[in-house]
Amino acid sequence: MPLLIDQRIVTEDPWQLLDQAALDEGSPIPENGPIAVPIIWYRQHREALQQRNSPLGVIVNGDDDLAALYADHSQLDLIAIEFPTFRDGRGFSIARQLVRSGFNRQIRALGHVTRDRLALMQSSGFNAFAINDERFQTDHLQAFSEISVNYQGTTADPRPIFRR
Amino acid sequence: MYQYNQIDQTLVDERVEQFRDQTRRFLKGELPEDEFSALRLMNGLYIQRQAPMLRVAVPYGLLSSTQMRKLAHVARTYDRGYGHFTTRTNIQFNWPELAAVPDILAELAQVQMHAIQTSGNCIRNTTTDPYAGVAENELEDPRPYCEIIRQWSTLHPEFAYLPRKFKIAVTGATEDRAASQVHDIGLQMVQNADGEIGFEVLVGGGLGRTPIIGKSIRKFLPKQHLLSYLDAILRVYNLKGRRDNKYKARIKILVEALGPDEFRRLVEEEWAHIRDGELTLTDAEIARAKSFFTLPDYDANAANADAHASLGDSLATDIEFNAWYRHNTLAHRVDGYRIAIVSLKPYLEAPGDITDSQMDAVADLADRYSFGETRATHHQNLVLTDVREGDLYAVWQALAANNLARSNIGTLTDMIVCPGFDFCSLANARTLNISDQINEHFDDMDHLYDLGEIRLNMSGCINACAHHHVADIGILGVDKKGEDWYQISLGGSSKEDARLGKILGRSVPASDVALTVEKILAVYVDQRRENESFAQVVLRVGIKPFKERVYATAH
Repeated sequence: MPLLIDQRIVTEDPWQLLDQAALDEGSPIPENGPIAVPIIWYRQHREALQQRNSPLGVIVNGDDDLAALYADHSQLDLIAIEFPTFRDGRGFSIARQLVRSGFNRQIRALGHVTRDRLALMQSSGFNAFAINDERFQTDHLQAFSEISVNYQGTTADPRPIFRR
Repeated sequence: MYQYNQIDQTLVDERVEQFRDQTRRFLKGELPEDEFSALRLMNGLYIQRQAPMLRVAVPYGLLSSTQMRKLAHVARTYDRGYGHFTTRTNIQFNWPELAAVPDILAELAQVQMHAIQTSGNCIRNTTTDPYAGVAENELEDPRPYCEIIRQWSTLHPEFAYLPRKFKIAVTGATEDRAASQVHDIGLQMVQNADGEIGFEVLVGGGLGRTPIIGKSIRKFLPKQHLLSYLDAILRVYNLKGRRDNKYKARIKILVEALGPDEFRRLVEEEWAHIRDGELTLTDAEIARAKSFFTLPDYDANAANADAHASLGDSLATDIEFNAWYRHNTLAHRVDGYRIAIVSLKPYLEAPGDITDSQMDAVADLADRYSFGETRATHHQNLVLTDVREGDLYAVWQALAANNLARSNIGTLTDMIVCPGFDFCSLANARTLNISDQINEHFDDMDHLYDLGEIRLNMSGCINACAHHHVADIGILGVDKKGEDWYQISLGGSSKEDARLGKILGRSVPASDVALTVEKILAVYVDQRRENESFAQVVLRVGIKPFKERVYATAH
């Protein structure tokens, strides 16, 4: 699964993203290395996870209750936000609120991440994009610059056009 | 009107190329159908019953004559010689080739037009009062705020994939001509106790299968907070609006489910994070937006004695012009001027349709007599807002020569009608045959004038594109075992006294619609007291007498 960061393809992704079903079936947590777990699992096993002494992330989506996350993300190095379908835009607002709450590490887009939404995701606060192999083409990198101007503020420059 | 700067132009130019590439990838099979569907809708392109349909944005209904001529050119070159104005004051073309759409968009971009966000689950074209800036009962011209909203909402990165479509209307007059209470957000300019002008914010109005009047969640919003407050509403809606059922995904359902108080609390909580932030409008930005909507160079001599006498002569000698003057023109704020309404409801033509040559004719009239601008109304007509009284006769003659001067504004045949089953893939029933039937049945203009102001709106399906719920007489087409039937409701209003019509009873077959309307009007004529309008009678007597007459069995 190609991962884009800073509008480039990252070859080494150190993160292991663990899914709820595997964890529920007893799949072991790796002893070392950065891992991200679903936020439900994180809530249930927070202390054990924090004792691992490796970078920790969570995976969230629009159905999760995120109020606590905004208050308590200083322990996290990565927050992955899932887009369950092409038409589900909740992730954009979640990223926006995360940035606003001061989270400044990796915000990764997961799930239905396709070329035509990359620029919108970046403007909303995502800084990493995991794209399915079968959908990825190298020309995706051009998507970030298709529209070179914007009226709204972005994460990079929060000023709307009338304040620039 | 607003003039694009280099950034605005770059945005629409680049959007054309972006869509061209998306269309190319779709036609090559690289972009799946369901994704292209969402992407093309965000650019106003539907695939309809007959062909693709392209809906072009007309921000807050304002068109320059140059833009109107370009629309005529598009109709002539890429379509079948006509376009259709809608209740969102946009224009749609019914027969473009999919592969030609990027070229149409490139042509539109040459005159500062586009099709961005005229469909899809995003913030749609903001609408307003077609008489903004010239109406007599106006607190302030709403158009600068519409333009500010246009910029904020155009390609908004966070709100391009909302649970459903999202419509905003702004009104600056005491009389609500923008149907603001039946919008996802209605913004009504109001004055507070300190004399400041701001906005009352209504949320969760809308028609469709669940018609609801909007709820006021803030009585007074200072102007500088306009965008931050809208941002807060949209964010709450984006996160909390239902996504499991598209029929329950509109913000009105969320507001009803939470209750307006809880919805307000969520918005205010979100707003607290951003209310004094970067989105706070600056005085300079408000002044800049206002600078595009200054008064035109009115002729100080417009009200001179000669003009007055010439108008008086024409009114006295030409009965048809006299009727047009009384029904299709309105008082203007400036002495010596009138507002002239161009009726897009000619006899036996599809309401809202306009041909390429008619568009050219309107553009010429706008240039010659109305400072080069035209407005589209949510009643599917056009308006020349600034016509000198002394020019009205010439304007009328030119309109009449182009079949645009039917003196029926505000009467029964000034109907809002969606294109219905003949064009729309959502529709259950035909509408255009019924509007013809009504026109044929009520072809006596004196009878129509005697009936007075009556709003008849007709939708071909439950989605209510023609706002049938808020008409004096609302007609909804329904499909019963392959046959078209029509459900009739009475007593709705989209104005400041907004209310939903009540269903009269069982639906009537297609052959009986005009006859049924005739029975309804007969009850009105029987019941009315002096100067009482149809709406007032329905309010006073209720729908029972109408029901009895319509469903009376033959003796």
